[in-house]
Amino acid sequence: MRYKDTGELHMDFHGATNTTIDYIANKYGKEALVEIFHKVGKDVYKSIHEGLKNDDPSELIEHLNYYLTREKADYTLTENEDGFVLDVKQCPAVAHIKSLGLEVSPYFNLQYIEISNALCDSTPWQCTTEIIGEGEYRQTFSRRK
Amino acid sequence: MMIPSDHFVRFYNEVFKFLEAKSEKDLRDYWLEISRHQEGHCLELFKTKGLKGMYEYWEHIRIEENCDMTLTLNDDYLKLEMHKCPSLSKVLDNDATPSMRYCDHCEGWISPLLAKAGYYCVYDQIAPDIPRCEMYVYKDKDLAEKKRKEIADRS
Repeated sequence: MRYKDTGELHMDFHGATNTTIDYIANKYGKEALVEIFHKVGKDVYKSIHEGLKNDDPSELIEHLNYYLTREKADYTLTENEDGFVLDVKQCPAVAHIKSLGLEVSPYFNLQYIEISNALCDSTPWQCTTEIIGEGEYRQTFSRRK
Repeated sequence: MMIPSDHFVRFYNEVFKFLEAKSEKDLRDYWLEISRHQEGHCLELFKTKGLKGMYEYWEHIRIEENCDMTLTLNDDYLKLEMHKCPSLSKVLDNDATPSMRYCDHCEGWISPLLAKAGYYCVYDQIAPDIPRCEMYVYKDKDLAEKKRKEIADRS
């Protein structure tokens, strides 16, 4: 796995992510945010993206399990014959933003959707994201038919 | 996929590159926005306790963010020596291209906030791809200008 942080967590960075998302969306529009999230998906997470291009989702699965576990998320990741399903019952970022007394940006969910879409772009994989509630979502990663 | 808190600075780096591509003003406007957000955390402390309050604030950051940093409180200035910036280190350890303006965001938010408290910030970045820097905070404008000139002459 390309990145594997250890040591103390700085959960307040989720608050900074939230305010940055709001700033960009309100000043430059939703499309600007999508553009930035696509850069994150394809450039920052280049090795996950390359893995999916080679039909290998193992680093994506390892990344999701590692960071969601590290942030003590309430989630399940279930592999099946088509791919895998990620069910996040309580996103740790959203929970922390709320604990800081901040309002969760209406654009916050875009990161789940657009980073995943960028990771899957031009690969044999696809992702569908279902937002169930605030901080609750399901992502289905599957091979394209 | 959620951006983990550990990866915030790599997201930040992408935001800076996006803004830099727009214009210098877009980048600076964003640093001012960060500065306004930070006011709630430290402006009152800086105004009421001065250099001692600044020492308290950055000492808290040093411990919380596990920074390899030395803070020295003198009678007329505060010196912050960042030996290994954890933020820039992560941006450099990145499959995406680091913004060469990344370091500028620190001075970009700190200077306006210190000015509101009546202090002057002098920043020695050293290099945008080396995670080291020095920052000096003065109450006296002439001393700040003298330090600024000393750094400029050296580089």
